[in-house]
Amino acid sequence: MIYGQLLIGLINGSFYALLSLGLSIILGLLNIINFTHGALYMMGAFAAWLLLAHAGIGYWPALVLAPLIVGLFGMVLERLLLSRVYRLEHLYGLLLTLGLATVIEGLFLNEFSAIGRPYPIPRALTGVWQLGFMTLPIYRAWVIAASVTVCAATWLVIERTKLGAYLRAGTENPALVGVFGINVPRMVTITFGFGAALAGLAGVLAAPIYQVTPLMGGNIITVVFAVVVIGGMGSIAGSILTGFIVGLIEGLTKSFYPEASSLAVFILMAVVLLIRPTGLFGRATTLTSNAGASSHAPPVLSGPAKAYLMPALVMTTFLLVAPAMLYPAFLMKALCFSLFALSLNLLLGFVGLGSFGHAMFLGTAGYITGYTAKAWGWPPEAAIAAGIGMSMLLGAVVGFLSIRRQKIYFAMITLALGELVYFFFLQIPFSGGEDGLSPVPRGRLLGVLNLENDITLYYLILALFLAGFFLVFRAVHSPFGQALKAIRENEPRAISLGYDTDRIKLVAFILSAGVAGLAGALKVFVFHIVSLPDVFHSTSGDVILMVLAGGVGTIFGPVVGAFLIVGMQQYLAPLGTWVMVVEGAVFALCVLSFRQGLVGQMAKILGRPL
Amino acid sequence: MDEPAVVLHVLELHAYYGESHILHGMDFRVHEGEVVALLGRNGAGKTTTLKSIVGLVSKRRGSIALRNNELIGRKSFEIARLGVAYCPEERGIFASLTVKENLTLPPVTNPGGLSAAAVFELFPNLAERQHSQGTKLSGGEQQMLAIGRMLVSGARLLLIDEPTEGLAPVIVAQILTILQRLRDQGYTIVLVEQNLRFLSSLADRSYIVEGGRVVDVFDAARFAANIPKVESYLGI
Amino acid sequence: MTTQPDIVLETRDLTKAFGGFTAVDKVNLRIRRGAVHALIGPNGAGKTTCFHLLTKFIAADSGQILFNGRNITAARPHQVANLGIVRSFQISAIFPHLTIRENVRLALQRKQGWDYAILKPEAALATLDDRADELLAAVGLTEDPSTIGASLSYGRKRALEIATTLALEPSLLLLDEPMAGLGREDIARIAELIRTVSRDRTIIMVEHNIKVIADLCDTITVLRRGRVLAEGDYATISQNPEVVDAYLGGGHG
Ligand SMILES: Nc1ncnc2c1ncn2[C@@H]1O[C@H](COP(=O)(O)OP(=O)(O)OP(=O)(O)O)[C@@H](O)[C@H]1O
Ligand SMILES: Nc1ncnc2c1ncn2[C@@H]1O[C@H](COP(=O)(O)OP(=O)(O)OP(=O)(O)O)[C@@H](O)[C@H]1O
Ligand SMILES: [Mg+2]
Ligand SMILES: [Mg+2]
Repeated sequence: MIYGQLLIGLINGSFYALLSLGLSIILGLLNIINFTHGALYMMGAFAAWLLLAHAGIGYWPALVLAPLIVGLFGMVLERLLLSRVYRLEHLYGLLLTLGLATVIEGLFLNEFSAIGRPYPIPRALTGVWQLGFMTLPIYRAWVIAASVTVCAATWLVIERTKLGAYLRAGTENPALVGVFGINVPRMVTITFGFGAALAGLAGVLAAPIYQVTPLMGGNIITVVFAVVVIGGMGSIAGSILTGFIVGLIEGLTKSFYPEASSLAVFILMAVVLLIRPTGLFGRATTLTSNAGASSHAPPVLSGPAKAYLMPALVMTTFLLVAPAMLYPAFLMKALCFSLFALSLNLLLGFVGLGSFGHAMFLGTAGYITGYTAKAWGWPPEAAIAAGIGMSMLLGAVVGFLSIRRQKIYFAMITLALGELVYFFFLQIPFSGGEDGLSPVPRGRLLGVLNLENDITLYYLILALFLAGFFLVFRAVHSPFGQALKAIRENEPRAISLGYDTDRIKLVAFILSAGVAGLAGALKVFVFHIVSLPDVFHSTSGDVILMVLAGGVGTIFGPVVGAFLIVGMQQYLAPLGTWVMVVEGAVFALCVLSFRQGLVGQMAKILGRPL
Repeated sequence: MDEPAVVLHVLELHAYYGESHILHGMDFRVHEGEVVALLGRNGAGKTTTLKSIVGLVSKRRGSIALRNNELIGRKSFEIARLGVAYCPEERGIFASLTVKENLTLPPVTNPGGLSAAAVFELFPNLAERQHSQGTKLSGGEQQMLAIGRMLVSGARLLLIDEPTEGLAPVIVAQILTILQRLRDQGYTIVLVEQNLRFLSSLADRSYIVEGGRVVDVFDAARFAANIPKVESYLGI
Repeated sequence: MTTQPDIVLETRDLTKAFGGFTAVDKVNLRIRRGAVHALIGPNGAGKTTCFHLLTKFIAADSGQILFNGRNITAARPHQVANLGIVRSFQISAIFPHLTIRENVRLALQRKQGWDYAILKPEAALATLDDRADELLAAVGLTEDPSTIGASLSYGRKRALEIATTLALEPSLLLLDEPMAGLGREDIARIAELIRTVSRDRTIIMVEHNIKVIADLCDTITVLRRGRVLAEGDYATISQNPEVVDAYLGGGHG
């Protein structure tokens, strides 16, 4: 039994290792967290399956052809799209690949649906070996051997040749590496293609073991992110070893405590981050380096507080009369997401911290509010307060674990911690699991106002929205906000001026979690339900899209973005799975050619801050 | 008298950072085996000139001719392969590479590049620290590393931005000797430098840069005789 | 052992090794109040590392740091700054995408203790503008205060950094090569500025420009390979054959 689980762990580990190796190489080279990596893996499996089903080409040729196809596809992707965002803040690369991954997976879903397709084990590798204490299927032995060999060979090439040095230097300062006579763009394309091919290879290897489905990439990718965090970002050998270790630990948990097996990776990650913030094999970075000229995107036009008064009045007036024109349910949902987007923008736009697991705050507050209102019959004001409180507490913990890490690492860690929270709510009985927690009664506010009336609820939400809006606005336009900008610009310098930067960032993070919590708590009452999508990473993605579409770092952008995206989702709902494709495409488009967002663009045209 | 060939000819060079127009028609030429200095106040455009030559400033017009090759329109890596090495003001040492890796990073583009061992001989400090992380070196050691790194590719045209900044007087003297030796070995050098004493024993010609163009030029003899005039250009 | 009141900063056997390499080796410094104290030495002698240790950017392996008689060996970097020990960096450190006025103001507002003033309106910051502009003018940054820091040339970025550092009115100022990369006119201006501000504070500076050191500094400590090689005024130091050999070289003066 235990050997069987360990074997499964080792198999999973083989895939983790191959995938995190490719991810690490791309991360090290482009400083981009490649969200398409899961999609590329899935494409590898599909390539093999399609080759067999439509061309009768078997496993062995596919083992070469599929990675080649996926690698070429990766190179095209890199040349046509990714190369346009290198000069920008690294987060944009992450966002772009997130959008592209959504598009790819959406397209495959439309074409092939979510059904799993079996792929036969090649004849030469069928059968088992009897080892005495266990039976070892030959194909599985082959997968482990193949993965170990490929990983080791890749590691050797990178560490033992100048290639590794070029890649690392290219990440730091591509322009200067070019001055030394190295064709950096070509090197980048080829390396990206190689990383993609590794994912494709993993896909082919996986096809006979798992079902081939469009979802297989999305399921594995967050675990692989966690592997890279645990291994220590930037360490090639680290991610390979950690891949296997994580697989084994998962296997072990499965045999001793199956409920926790999907959580194990993320718990391991949290523990490692606590003890060794740089990861198991990561190099420690000291504070002494300092940014002379960093690669930040220049901040958006900002202005004195009174410049925002007029647009704020327009917004308030519109929202006051809106129920006369639009469905209250739509408005309430949009306002909740506006608050949620505002909370994210506080971090993304003003501290330069991309939180990629922000749904954990929305969802946690939702569950707490929903549970206290439903099971304990708490009045709405108390239930909301409890939700916000818990969300801020979670914010303190997550912030404590992640805040010391810069930018892109921060994004990855928050994403993985968000996943941990998701699995927690999936497993814990009180959440109602897949069904969610419902119906949650709206109750009476302060024992007087009956919130079952949509209009009453709407005006309550509007009032709280305005309060949240003002809070975020004030925070940004305060000495505190100025300190946040200083930290975004040059943290060591801020410290040397006497700023306790870790604490300031933590305060911002908790504040953001609080506002997100408010959004989550209110949302429960709107729909009478809280369920898993509220904590899922797709919701974290949605809110990033809202901020991006509206305008990162603007004041009104998140609100406009939230209305836009919520409206779009409503409008496109009849299209079914195509929504995914459209949303992903909008996402990618925003990153590629509409980075200032709607409000940012307007601010530029009007020449005034918005 | 037969003049040596012109290696680098900058003509009517204009350069921009985004919208701001920084160089307003730089003009100067460098002959084979010469040491030419660019001098000027902070912000005059000296660094921008060097960056334009190696292609780090992409928005530029006019002409930069390296022997028979026009450099405007070429990418940095192509320019480097024509035999140009550049040592930036902020040194450009890579944090993720060890000292030795930093040193051997530039591919050999022309025959005659120095080996790592030869550079370590020039700068014994570096030899001792060769396995440390590049940016863990002291400021001065990083400067030495940046200068050493220019010599490994075998390029014969060296563009050096403020090589003595942050170096101890003994090391400045040592760098001076090294640059003199490089000149004697036939390297062509364009130097941005503020230290007049350093220049007076090294530069064959010094161009004064002001507001993005050349306003005066001194050959070695005239330079030595006119130090007060040069100083007045630099605002002293 | 007690410290005399006129000693601002004292280190006792301060030591830091990186791997097997001892960068700072049992250094004992005693800095008099009001002095301009120079720390010089060959490249790699451990001067910047000393600054990192004093400001706690790096933790010492052993030894103690006493500031006004108080042991600050265990303090955190921002706490050290708030005690009045402020440093500049060897490679210029500014907030690149903020205006030059905002750069300086960030130091001024720190002193006001507004770090967590989430609800304080921005207008409060405008009260600091005049002081910020004054400081900018003092270092010769006469351009429009709304100029973005990143667009300054290297030398002027250094000037901005110094203005920001001075804005904190530190009682002990650590300057790491303030003159590096500056043109001659700026060197003269910054030297004058350092002289002016040294009237009511103590300064420790690392600098390779010997002329500046000779003009400005009362006491000079020479480090070599992490150890104190010599200490004294310029006249003494410049005659010390070991110092000449290790640092100044033959042709100085
Ligand atoms: N990235 C940039 N964006 C906008 N303007 C810039 C940029 N870099 C430099 N400048 C401006 O270009 C002008 C010339 O700068 P440059 O760095 O060439 O001066 P320099 O002569 O090398 O001065 P220094 O002696 O201070 O190094 C300066 O006015 C500077 O403010
Ligand atoms: N974090 C580190 N890890 C390893 N070695 C280091 C580290 N920091 C400094 N060193 C080494 O310690 C020595 C002292 O460095 P330091 O920066 O203090 O020199 P310095 O006296 O300031 O020199 P310079 O005048 O060139 O700036 C150098 O040899 C350097 O390579
Ligand atoms: Mg310059
Ligand atoms: Mg130093």
